[in-house]
Amino acid sequence: MRAGYPVSEGVVARDGVEIRYERYGQGWPVILLLPTWSLVPARHWKMQVPYLARHFTVVCFDGRGTGGSGRPQEPAAYTDAQFASDALAVMDAAGVDAAVVVSASCGALWALRLGAEHPDRVLGAVFIAPTAPLVPLLAERRVQRFGEVLDDPVGWQTYNAHYWRTHYPEFVAFFTGRLFTEPHSTKQIEDVTGWALETDGQTLAAAHLGLECCDAAATQGLAERLACPVLVIHGTGDAVRGHAEGEALAGCADGALVTLAGAGHFPHARDPVRVNLLIRQFADRIRR
Amino acid sequence: MRARLPDGQGNRITESADTITGVSMQTTTWTRGPCRPRRALYLSSPIGLGHARRDVAVAKELKRLHPDLEIDWLAQHPVTTVLDAEGEHIHPASRWLANESAHVVSEASGHDLHCFQALRRMDEILVANFMVFQEVIEEGCYDLVIGDEAWDVDYYWHENPELKRGQNVWFTDFVGYLPMPDGGEHEAFLTADYNAEMIEHIDRYPWVRDRAIFVGNDDDIVPDTFGENLPAIRDWTRQHFSYSGYITGFTPPDPDQVPSLRAGLGYRDDELVCVVAVGGSGVGGALIEKVVAAYPLAKKALPELRMIVVTGPRIDPAAFPQREGLELRGYVHRLYEHLCACDLAIVQGGLTTTMELAAAKRPFLYFPLGHHFEQNFHVRHRLDRYGAGVCLDYLATDPDLIAARIGELAGKPVSYRDVETDGAARAARLIAELL
Repeated sequence: MRAGYPVSEGVVARDGVEIRYERYGQGWPVILLLPTWSLVPARHWKMQVPYLARHFTVVCFDGRGTGGSGRPQEPAAYTDAQFASDALAVMDAAGVDAAVVVSASCGALWALRLGAEHPDRVLGAVFIAPTAPLVPLLAERRVQRFGEVLDDPVGWQTYNAHYWRTHYPEFVAFFTGRLFTEPHSTKQIEDVTGWALETDGQTLAAAHLGLECCDAAATQGLAERLACPVLVIHGTGDAVRGHAEGEALAGCADGALVTLAGAGHFPHARDPVRVNLLIRQFADRIRR
Repeated sequence: MRARLPDGQGNRITESADTITGVSMQTTTWTRGPCRPRRALYLSSPIGLGHARRDVAVAKELKRLHPDLEIDWLAQHPVTTVLDAEGEHIHPASRWLANESAHVVSEASGHDLHCFQALRRMDEILVANFMVFQEVIEEGCYDLVIGDEAWDVDYYWHENPELKRGQNVWFTDFVGYLPMPDGGEHEAFLTADYNAEMIEHIDRYPWVRDRAIFVGNDDDIVPDTFGENLPAIRDWTRQHFSYSGYITGFTPPDPDQVPSLRAGLGYRDDELVCVVAVGGSGVGGALIEKVVAAYPLAKKALPELRMIVVTGPRIDPAAFPQREGLELRGYVHRLYEHLCACDLAIVQGGLTTTMELAAAKRPFLYFPLGHHFEQNFHVRHRLDRYGAGVCLDYLATDPDLIAARIGELAGKPVSYRDVETDGAARAARLIAELL
């Protein structure tokens, strides 16, 4: 059973893709919980929604490729601009003028575009473990060859389009292990694994290729254009996107940085209490 | 006038409309530390009704030792049913709690409830409820938190120890998750991992639990380990808990008091009263159906049989077929009196009801829920120690067998070990030392 259920839900169709969204609670400001990579649906916010909805209006949606949303197969359907446009369409459908935008991992890329290009719709931005390609990728990830056919790939080499077509569950098992580097994370790993297996390797490959447009220069440009208050939360034990990425983003966006020492890539799932309190505190400051 | 919660700094803030101007104004009262009453926040696990009964008994004993102590309850249905009936004060923030009992019902199927997995899947409910609790504790100036299997508080205060406020008492009647045999190696790995995390929590932050009370005695603890390469549960519990003995929440009647108790409840001497009860969580419909099907067979063999089926506050008694001589009731306040007065009881394997029957020395059949490690291992171990009850496997038992067992056991004498009656007072003394 869920801890809370939406007060309303709906579907918006944009550019031929259906996007399923939910609205919870009431109160100002609205918190928009953005989707992350097309591996998991909006349920990855399950530890935040009931708490935040007691204090604010909360809107979230399944990112394209996940949950109840459509699963286009072309990479062009998965650019940061597409996700940002989905967010605007959901805000319009839910009657939300402006929101505090909270993102996790590569949700940062859509949050940056949204905040830079539509400053009137973004009251503040919280970035959790952001994908911010402003610094080199973690050393252990530099073995990735996404488009090449590899014999018996291991570790991060399994981050590979061909491997995903034939060994998607094996990749999910590897990736969830890197997502949660904290001991005693069996439940979080099970949750993400279950959600990830609702989609497929081909869809995820399209989602990955769609993001190749996001390079250091583009990210830096967007981050520097952010005019709203910014909070970056990043764990030192993040084995997917290094802590240096969060640090660099906070620097570019002139934001505050909260370092979670020892935390992995999904602290909102593994350390939900601290993350909830940080989001609440940030939104309360906007409210004042 | 609208009173708000204290703000955690001893202030009580009141908003009122000025009688002359009509303009809303805010007034603040700060209470000097020495002038504040002692306050406790009590959390009682809502999974079943057993915790509520014993916690009310402990609270009453605690108030006897500290008459100035104010107790607020942060509680959910069905615990609130008991608290309302006892006139206890329920904190208004209780309405924000997500219902754990409803979650447990949603996890059950027939007479089966994999309670370890149900608890794992309760993660989002636990964090939602912890956030409510933390707001209450930060606003309320409480001296003491008492959590009877308040899993959320225990877990998240160990994960976020800087959030702890006041003294903290942890109650439980079992220690250690145990794997069900058909869960194989993976379930054994998972239960060991959860146990290991708990052990690490206590080792790293021994000050989060100011007092840990095991509701029972040393021998009640199962002879197992926490898992591979982990300590023996009994040894570890001995080092980290105080024992209150069992807490029945009532004093069982002497044999010579039973006739008047029966008369008061409307039970005649010339009838054999069989009470069927499935606790308060809402899981138990399947067992009731099987027992109701056994009733006509048992009644035929035993014409003096009278069967009272208590469905509890979360199951509608109207959902079952009516039969002559069969009485269906929903929530029955002071159910233990009926259990003390009956000639036989048929129950699930929950600790509270079975121990009430053990304490009252009544014959009973009990059916542990399938895949429920606590009922199948911890409770069964304890009942075996007391020599109490006849354990039956729900799946292997048909209505004919239940009817036969009713015939064999109804009204027959039993020889169980005595259950102590001072558990609530002992627990209260252990808590009172902190005040």
